[in-house]
Amino acid sequence: MAAKQVFDLAVRARLENLQKARHYIDQKGESLGVSESALGDLRLAVDEAVTNVIIHGYGNLDGMVELHMEADGDTVVVRVRDHAKTFDASHINAPQLDTALKDRPIGGMGLFLIKKMTDEVEFLALPGGGNELRLIKRGAIQT
Amino acid sequence: MATLNFMVGQEQGNVSVTVLKVEGDIDAATHKTLQDKAAELIDAGTTHILLDLSGVNYMGSAGFRAIHAMTNMLSGGESSGLSKSPYLKLLNPTDPVARVIKTLGFDVYLDIYQDRNEAVNSFQ
Repeated sequence: MAAKQVFDLAVRARLENLQKARHYIDQKGESLGVSESALGDLRLAVDEAVTNVIIHGYGNLDGMVELHMEADGDTVVVRVRDHAKTFDASHINAPQLDTALKDRPIGGMGLFLIKKMTDEVEFLALPGGGNELRLIKRGAIQT
Repeated sequence: MATLNFMVGQEQGNVSVTVLKVEGDIDAATHKTLQDKAAELIDAGTTHILLDLSGVNYMGSAGFRAIHAMTNMLSGGESSGLSKSPYLKLLNPTDPVARVIKTLGFDVYLDIYQDRNEAVNSFQ
């Protein structure tokens, strides 16, 4: 049986805590030796992921968001865990980048950015309820 | 909690241009204040905005929601198609912000300038 994952940061699911989430990525990334450009990408992907949890996962409900960043060779994995309703990303379409701005719906860019800024994204529905999003960035650490 | 600071200046080129300088991180917690500031300026008669992003080190998709809404407010329902907005232009985005602008395709809709005078004089 896998050891229980210990998450480094747990914050209340409130938009004012986005800055704390970005700060955690900056600090932990720096300690792991993540390159500046990969860190910028991960900061953005995590900010968007936590924003989605707060707005779409919990809605107006209270809850926690947990973050953990770890390195495996030159690959960095960030886990974003929540206890909100199960997230289904399959119905979310990519924004229409070749359409007049006036005709583009406002928003809908978060998941697109998460995918653009990482090499792989895994969505896991947790057995006891909630979700874990794994953001994987390869070549993030210069060895 | 993160907040945004605004500095508003007025420049006269071919038309009167409001230079709105933003300082801070534009995320889902703060983007509405940018949108509200722009709405306040537009309500007061502003027709052309140069958005100075030199003081913004972080901007996520929420920042682009605000910019998208500003573009729509300034155009008043008129569509520029795939050409650039004649009413909203960007000045001096930092490298990380410039990268996201390109990733989201906003460089197709908005002119980006490094020089304030050149930007002001580009409005017609």
